[in-house]
Amino acid sequence: MSAPVPISLVVNGETHDLVVPPRKLLSDVLREDLHLTGTHVGCEHGVCGACTILIDGQPSRACLTYAVQMEGHELTTIEAVAEGDRLSPLQQALHEEHGLQCGFCTAGIVMTFEAYLRDNPQPGEAEIRDVLSGNLCRCTGYQNIVTAILKAADLMREGQGA
Amino acid sequence: MTADTPFTHIGQPLPRKEDRRFLTGKGRYLDDVTLPGALQVTFVRSPHAHARITGIDAEAARALPGVVGVFTGRDLAQWTAPLRLAPPIEGLHPVEMTTLPVDKVRFHGDPVAVVVARDRYTAEDAAELVEVEYDPLPCAADAETALAPGAPLVDDTLPDNLVSHQSFRAGDPRARRAEADRVVEARFNLHRHTHVPMETRGCLADWDAGRAHLTMHIGTQAPHPMRGQLAARLGISETQVTVISPDIGGGFGQKIALYREELTVAALSRHLGRPVRWREDRLENLTSASHARETQCVTRAAVRADGRILGLELELTEDFGAYCFYPANYMARVIAMILTGPYKISDYAFDVKVVLTNKCGNGPMRAPMAITSWVMEGTIDAVARELGLDPLQVRRINALRPEDLPFTMPTGEVLEDVTPLETLEAAVQAIDLPEFRARQAQARAEGRLLGLGLCTVVESTTYGSQFYKAAGIPGSGHEAAWVRIEPSGVVNASVGLMGSGQGYETPLAQAVAEGLGVTPDVVNVHMGHTDIAPYGMGSRGARGATAGGGTLYLCAQKAQARVLAIAADMLNLNDAQGLRLHNGQVERRLEDAWQATGVSLTDVARRAYLDPTALPEGIDPGLDVSLTYDPPAMTYSNSTHACEVEIDPATGRIRIDRYVVAEDCGTVLNPLVVKGQQQGAVAMGLSGALLEQVVYDENGQNQSATLADYLVATACELPDIEILPMHTPNRKTPAGIKGMAEGGIMGSIGVIAGAVNDALAPLEVTAEQMPLSPQRIRGLLRRAAHSDAGKAFSKSGTATDTIHGTPDNSDGRTNRA
Repeated sequence: MSAPVPISLVVNGETHDLVVPPRKLLSDVLREDLHLTGTHVGCEHGVCGACTILIDGQPSRACLTYAVQMEGHELTTIEAVAEGDRLSPLQQALHEEHGLQCGFCTAGIVMTFEAYLRDNPQPGEAEIRDVLSGNLCRCTGYQNIVTAILKAADLMREGQGA
Repeated sequence: MTADTPFTHIGQPLPRKEDRRFLTGKGRYLDDVTLPGALQVTFVRSPHAHARITGIDAEAARALPGVVGVFTGRDLAQWTAPLRLAPPIEGLHPVEMTTLPVDKVRFHGDPVAVVVARDRYTAEDAAELVEVEYDPLPCAADAETALAPGAPLVDDTLPDNLVSHQSFRAGDPRARRAEADRVVEARFNLHRHTHVPMETRGCLADWDAGRAHLTMHIGTQAPHPMRGQLAARLGISETQVTVISPDIGGGFGQKIALYREELTVAALSRHLGRPVRWREDRLENLTSASHARETQCVTRAAVRADGRILGLELELTEDFGAYCFYPANYMARVIAMILTGPYKISDYAFDVKVVLTNKCGNGPMRAPMAITSWVMEGTIDAVARELGLDPLQVRRINALRPEDLPFTMPTGEVLEDVTPLETLEAAVQAIDLPEFRARQAQARAEGRLLGLGLCTVVESTTYGSQFYKAAGIPGSGHEAAWVRIEPSGVVNASVGLMGSGQGYETPLAQAVAEGLGVTPDVVNVHMGHTDIAPYGMGSRGARGATAGGGTLYLCAQKAQARVLAIAADMLNLNDAQGLRLHNGQVERRLEDAWQATGVSLTDVARRAYLDPTALPEGIDPGLDVSLTYDPPAMTYSNSTHACEVEIDPATGRIRIDRYVVAEDCGTVLNPLVVKGQQQGAVAMGLSGALLEQVVYDENGQNQSATLADYLVATACELPDIEILPMHTPNRKTPAGIKGMAEGGIMGSIGVIAGAVNDALAPLEVTAEQMPLSPQRIRGLLRRAAHSDAGKAFSKSGTATDTIHGTPDNSDGRTNRA
């Protein structure tokens, strides 16, 4: 309930000077103050993973973070993943393999695995399922998501070899 | 295009149009829609399951800076009409509810007041300051309590809590019992679920005082019925309401009814003259949105020694919760109607009771008839167990065969163009049953618990108007569409459905493309806006493809005929005989081959719009076609699920080693989307059967109010699903479409129970209650450990052990849980 404070947020490479109440969640600030509505709020208690963004390159729950904690950190959201019209290999694979239906959980899954595949270029299915268990999807049964992530890993390795 | 399909675009696995916006964070869900000056509401909810409201003090809340107002049931009663449900159905009590409770709350989470504030944080602070005084009442937290003499009345206007009771008999099941070698009784208890769409409910109401018009932004599966409800309850005309559904983050049946919160928000926008929004939080969604299932069934099968079922009786009790947003018999009725499904049974009786309790109200959840196939297949398995027969043989001896079709089920439902025996044989072959049985015998000798289940599903998909009429339920099963070829030759189309994530935009564009003769990429299907879409019945059941796709396909064919009539004139032909539109070009049949004419759809469109005096006599300007279509009373798809499990005796964990589905859902618009629906339905069914459970304690307190308590399956719990697609067209629907997407729930619930009970068979214990949680399986194993069968089995290997204390989840009867 304390008074709003000025903060500086670096999101997708852009710096934003804002005045926000200290208790305002990062997910709400991204969505309401910065109009980055691609980050979705599914449970607000850290279980569903829909609000996953990257904080300094690491997947994190925006609903369990206060915006005022983010001074001095670099944030990346779903809006920065595609380069212009070009989908990332992971986004492209999810499209081709029908790895999404309603799309509400999708941003969180993309953010989780953009980071994971960057650090683990050759994952096995069991590892992928283990990491994916932090993101709930109510539509797909996960099968096509797993297939798409494996495909994306292949594409990314080929891309680097070329 | 393969040789055996008559279609060019229907049946192509096109990736979805909507993916790009969802993948890049550019989808527009309800909370992404903003309006300047919108206020935010939060509801004050009851902490009691059942209590009189004796006073509401909102002084402190109103005094909080940023609070616009606090309103109660009395305010809403002045602004809105109550919901009265009184369809003329024998045995169903009429019920009525106000928009918010006025004098009593009926479940933990019932909304009693609403706070309006400038933002959600302030609204939630203020809600904490609203002091509601309650006089708690005894509660009926389960169906048994609610049905006991002298039980507390959930709805004070009813004589008792038995809100609906219907019985039915065809043939003479009692006589069949007398003739039978054995009467096999089996029990099935499917627990309470909730839908858990990843996007919770919510709405944004915008009352335009100048025009006296309400625009309601709301993720709804059925925009036009929603508009009608809003108008009726607010006392305004349907011309004064526009419903706009943005992208929906999952519905599964939870986003059909007009809920009390949503009506409250609309009324507040009109009262305050400001846009007002509501975003449900997850706690509210789990406790107060809508629940589902909680159905208990008992079957009695009169059987011959060879397993042939002579007669079948069903007793069903559904715990409906506290409020009826649907006629209370709505879901239970379908279960009873289609129970006999894949089997040739003529002597059948049912007794169906629906009971009000002090819990969140029930509604349809993906497969309202979810328990059906478990009950039927579980009955077959019980027959096999008790008679010492092979469960596959019992299925075969009772199966409907191709020569039996069309088959009139004992309830009068007609099955045709279904293939349940074919899917059974296909699934049995794919999973290699003899090989499994050999492996199972060896595993049992080692004390391991392997099991295999089979579950054949006959899924009611598309409900036509005749079905509703026969059921006494007001409403219709028809659908409406329009197709407009614009002056540039591109195609806009619309239908009264609204998808909630399935991916309608692509398959419906394929239906239009096929019917019209264009490529799907030039077609844009508009849905979810009541001023744009024609009045349709929306998305529920599995009607999207048959009703939605079918109507668009027929409408597009009608549009093609218009195009060809103009083209014939342009080509100086007497009529359109021998012409077709193919991928946007007019072609002519000459010497057994289609040949280009040089006239394109764009040429025709230009003439129709911009040079109408050149049109032939009797043809009006423009290319704008509409059509309505009413599907048959009911269409059916069918499938057989086969699944192999191993139970870890130490932990009670069920590991699914293989999962196969042979499914015949007729002509499919887009196999990629259909496969996604098949996988998703099985996943949701398994998640419910193994993990999810709404838990209330004996005081009616909801104990599963977070996603850490209400467990939705993750990627680690769900298997890969192998699908064997089969496509027997329905001869009575456009393009032979049947519809699908709920059968996977029915099949997975039934097959996992069958597999688990097959695994447990040597211990002579049977799981009759879901979820099949590790605790429940351990409870069964503990009981088995004390039985002769269990001791004999554990001697053969390492299986069961003894744990002290009382087993959880016991229903008090021997060897069953």
